[in-house]
Amino acid sequence: MNTGPALVSILRQGSTLVASIHTALNDTEMVRFQQDLIRQIGEHRARGVIIDVAALDVLDSFASRTLRAVAEMARLRGASTVVVGIQPEVAYAMVELGTGGDALTTALDLEDGLALLADLGQSGPARG
Amino acid sequence: MTTARASDREGPTDAAEVEALIPVLRRVVRARVGSHPQAEDLVQETLARVLAARERIEPGMLEPYAIATARNVVASLWRQGDRAVRNAHRLFDPGRPDGADDVVIATEQTAAVGRALAQLSEDERRLLLAHEVTGQDTRSLAEAADSTAGAVAARLKRIRARLRVEYLLALDDVEPPSDRCRAVLVALSGADRRRQDELDTERHLLECPLCARLSEPLVERGPVRSDEAHVPIAEAADIVTARHRARELAARAGFDGVDLTLIATAVSEMARNIVRFADNGEVSVRLLDRPRRGIRVIVRDTGPGIPDVDRALQDGYSTDEGLGLGLPGARRLMDEFLVESSQGNGTTVKMTKWIKRG
Ligand SMILES: [Zn+2]
Repeated sequence: MNTGPALVSILRQGSTLVASIHTALNDTEMVRFQQDLIRQIGEHRARGVIIDVAALDVLDSFASRTLRAVAEMARLRGASTVVVGIQPEVAYAMVELGTGGDALTTALDLEDGLALLADLGQSGPARG
Repeated sequence: MTTARASDREGPTDAAEVEALIPVLRRVVRARVGSHPQAEDLVQETLARVLAARERIEPGMLEPYAIATARNVVASLWRQGDRAVRNAHRLFDPGRPDGADDVVIATEQTAAVGRALAQLSEDERRLLLAHEVTGQDTRSLAEAADSTAGAVAARLKRIRARLRVEYLLALDDVEPPSDRCRAVLVALSGADRRRQDELDTERHLLECPLCARLSEPLVERGPVRSDEAHVPIAEAADIVTARHRARELAARAGFDGVDLTLIATAVSEMARNIVRFADNGEVSVRLLDRPRRGIRVIVRDTGPGIPDVDRALQDGYSTDEGLGLGLPGARRLMDEFLVESSQGNGTTVKMTKWIKRG
């Protein structure tokens, strides 16, 4: 992983990848995170992806677009994505900004996110 | 070449040979005093001395003699103004030279002080030196000038601000490229906030590399302000820096968590426009007290400008790509939002948020 452990971590739990963003990312780092995550979805044949953004100070239009792009690319590779940890004030800003659209599947926190993926039938032990 | 070298001749040096020395003397003098108004006088005085002494000059020694004379003439000029100059140094402390080039640097600084003083009017120079060198206080100066101590003190402050600017220009040996430059630098040097706003000094610093460079030592001298921040924007990482600085200041002003995020998001959106569409720009953040507590963020760039600001502010237009990206969204996050832009002249976005009465 090029991003280095300080900025983000991507861990595998069964067929689910849990990607945690640990600090504010700039656009370049955000794009690198997107590329790493997509690559690992393929490598691990993941069926579910959780992106934890609780540490992000803002989700501006670029960050929102990038998350949407990740979710879309993951979907095309057969994985469902849930974004968790959007802070209340960040959610409010996204709505005001006009980027709070419904394209992202979200859950309150990691636990709810895992439950949601299980409901979607795309979590659990790796197949094969 | 009509003049023979002195060494070829038996007799005393003639006037034509002395005149042929003018170019080399100009170089010698200018190397020491730059474009000092008296530079040409110094050359002429050197020539006069050489001519007067020509009977005594050994054949072949004319040029070295003339150069030595030029050095002495320049040195005596500095000795004349020595006391004033040495004391004027204290006015703005150009920094103590260190290292092996001490003497050269000190000489350059002294010459620059001389040239800076020469840029002041006779009146200004007299007032400054009376106060700083002779040690007259503002009250007695005010009596002499039929003025008030406060007015004299303010005038001294303005003169010092100008002297600092002229000193830096002289030290660099540059003439500013635009009419605005001196006014901008003086406003910065004097920490005159109202005048800085009038002149929009921050935009000038973005557009004028010379003033940007010279402003650094001028601004460093000013009091460090805890109620404002300036973040130059050139690459992606600067966007994060800008929104963090804005958030810190806004938190200090007392904004709540939601507003902090709204402000940081708006800064992030507008700073990104600079990175994507302009070469160069900055985000400046300032806390406001009146009419109530708030924060003003000014985002300036030197990019191509937005051809139609009204259209860019409409939702659905230019929201995805292109100039004016994200303007409508950012506007919704702030209380006041003003865009000034014209093609080829860059863009300034001023956005303000007020603390809600609680
Ligand atoms: Zn300038």
